[in-house]
Amino acid sequence: MVLTGRAAVLAGVGVLFVALVLPSWGGIGLVIAAVVLVCLVDILLAGSPRRLQFSREGDTAVRLGQQAVVQLLVANPGRRVKGLLRDAWVPSAGVQDPPHRLDLPHGERRRLTTHLVPTRRGDRQADRVTVRSIGPLGFAGRQGSHRVDWTVRALPPFNSRKHLPSRLARLRELDGRTALLVRGQGTEFDSLRDYVPGDDVRSIDWRATARRGNVVLRTWRPERDRQVAIVIDSGRMSAGRVGDAPRLDHAMDAALLLAALATRAGDRVSLLACDSAVRADVRRPAPEDVLPSFVNALAPVEAELVQTDFRIVVSQVLERLGQRSLVVLLTGLDPAVIEESLLPVIAPLLRRHVVVLASVADPRLTELEATRTDLIDVYNAASAARTRLDRDRLTATLTRAGVTVVDENPDQIAPALADTYLALKKAGRL
Amino acid sequence: MSTSTPVGRTAGESWRLLRKPLLITGVIVLVSIVVMIASIAPTSGPFSPDSTEQNGARALSNLLQKHGVKVTGSEYLADAVESGEGKTLLIGPNGQLDRDDLRRIADARWSHLILIRPGDRALEILAPGVRDSAQNLSYSSRQPGCDLPAAVKAGTAEVGGAAYTAPPSAKVCYGDGINNTVVRLETAGRIVDVVGTSRTFTNAELADDGNAALALNLIGTHQNLTWYLPQYEAGDSVADDSGPPLVPPSVRYIAWALAFAALIVAIWRGRRLGPVVVERLPVIVHAAETTEGRARLYRRSRARDRAAAALRESALGQLQKAHGIPRRAEPSAVVATIATRTGWDPLLVHEVLYGMPPMDDVALLNLSDQLDVLTQEVRHP
Repeated sequence: MVLTGRAAVLAGVGVLFVALVLPSWGGIGLVIAAVVLVCLVDILLAGSPRRLQFSREGDTAVRLGQQAVVQLLVANPGRRVKGLLRDAWVPSAGVQDPPHRLDLPHGERRRLTTHLVPTRRGDRQADRVTVRSIGPLGFAGRQGSHRVDWTVRALPPFNSRKHLPSRLARLRELDGRTALLVRGQGTEFDSLRDYVPGDDVRSIDWRATARRGNVVLRTWRPERDRQVAIVIDSGRMSAGRVGDAPRLDHAMDAALLLAALATRAGDRVSLLACDSAVRADVRRPAPEDVLPSFVNALAPVEAELVQTDFRIVVSQVLERLGQRSLVVLLTGLDPAVIEESLLPVIAPLLRRHVVVLASVADPRLTELEATRTDLIDVYNAASAARTRLDRDRLTATLTRAGVTVVDENPDQIAPALADTYLALKKAGRL
Repeated sequence: MSTSTPVGRTAGESWRLLRKPLLITGVIVLVSIVVMIASIAPTSGPFSPDSTEQNGARALSNLLQKHGVKVTGSEYLADAVESGEGKTLLIGPNGQLDRDDLRRIADARWSHLILIRPGDRALEILAPGVRDSAQNLSYSSRQPGCDLPAAVKAGTAEVGGAAYTAPPSAKVCYGDGINNTVVRLETAGRIVDVVGTSRTFTNAELADDGNAALALNLIGTHQNLTWYLPQYEAGDSVADDSGPPLVPPSVRYIAWALAFAALIVAIWRGRRLGPVVVERLPVIVHAAETTEGRARLYRRSRARDRAAAALRESALGQLQKAHGIPRRAEPSAVVATIATRTGWDPLLVHEVLYGMPPMDDVALLNLSDQLDVLTQEVRHP
């Protein structure tokens, strides 16, 4: 049951009636009876919200920050329903529309459009559809809700895709689709061609030259069909918020850029998100399917407040990679965690694969270390310096162990990781 | 496409769900109302036949009933003006009755009238000739001092209170002969007793001395006793002509109408269009939280040595990197190199980079500033 402003106005008129015309218990009784009667008649004449039939169609996925459109179809087999309709979603689904006005005569259908701009990555669910049906007199009405399930998946935004063209250009240079082919830019034998003055004499293939009679040059190209395993740590080290997003989201951004780049370079990419259990697992999708499948798998992953079990990470990676591959581990550089749980178990991984550890640095630490106006700042600066020194020491330890460490600010981590990949490829270490 | 299911209960479901609790609540309310009505006494207050207080008269009422007298307590004048032939009327001590009411009581032909501490007006109409002597007798055990059978049978009784003077035809008891607390007047077919002492018959005092016997013999003369307690409102002393009222009487009704309107507005504004939607939110922890926490620990424990060591190590690292000094270089070599590059006094450089931990906060601040300047000069030589 709902009342409207008109019922309140009627009650107000009733006050005037009691004051001016009939100041007695009888007058009050008359007013109450009139209001209740009008409201009851209105409620009985209002169309039933329960009898409405709903269905939905529209977007099921949207990139974070963009707008999804979901349609709600309402059919009315009963009496005319006039009033308001609220299509309720969870708050982070970011519903843009105020409640819809609804005027649905018997037997008709309407299509209502709800615009969503999700504010958080992951699956955003529709709650319930509530209809307030006001009676023909406009004094009171009925209200009822329906559950019309729908889920819009807010995908990682992949903001770092702006860095993709420049990295692809450098990849093309490496790849031989642009001019210069000299040794060092790859280790995989490509072809033989005639010597042109200016070529590196070290690349001359003397045996072929002897066979052919003219000077022949060996050309090289970067390896193809290598495997890249991207591992995202979704444990507590990724929960820390750097800037306005958790480390996990920056890590996803970097992972997506690397995946896009590696796919274009002809490598096979697989993905693993893991803390105390595996949260997302994509194994060697078809090249055209890499980004969609990664984005989809990563969308619902949230940082869990548990310690990541690196034994699971290592065993999972070893299980799925046969040949020598690149393993990219996106985690945090926390000395205690890395030294106690990663270093003891990483040896088998290092024996067979190239390991890159990428971590999102916190610009706040640099800021803390640079500010020294009063005593509090000095202690903060000392603490930040200690943190940085520990990280530097850990980086040195990891480098000695054979791990390539990438430690960059959130806006730099994705291109830095892509550059590291290109550098490894160029050096022929894959 | 997805289909819908209604949420919430229909009116019928709600009714089926609620009817049992409602029925039980209704029965409980009904029973308690019935019990309450049944247990409400018709009278209350001092000298009431239903009151069990110290100043009530429940004991006397019970005693009379045990001796076959039917006691009817009342606070309404109507019960005191009905035909009273062969019956006793007792008029309680408080309250004000106006002359008309008293005359109607007088005309009701009660066989026996008992006036407990009556006022002047009541005496004038119901017991002509008896006057309030305006002297109070002290409360004590007294001899009857008369030949009234009831008093003689009771013997001594504890009496006291208002005293009355009586015409010679009356029998006077429990007094000094002039001022008496019990006066019996026998007029045409009617006995009128004026009793100044009400305290004698209360629950607190009834058991003392010959009080109970006096009460029984004095009051229990007829089978029916109407125990009337006049109320103040019944009299004409209520000032109903004291000018216009301060608030117009309609204000009360307007207030009730306003309350109803407020209720309607509350229902109108208070109803939400569907419930609040809740959601599980992720934990937000700032990545620098632990670093800032450690800084607070440093400060609280005044760990100047640790803070200074961290700052020095950090600055040294930057200087070594900037000047190309090997990491494992001797302090003296480091100091010498930096002193020549920056032009600082080697002693000062040594003091800043390798000196003692600062002794107080000011020293720590100074050290921090000097390290800052030193590294700044490296960055902008």
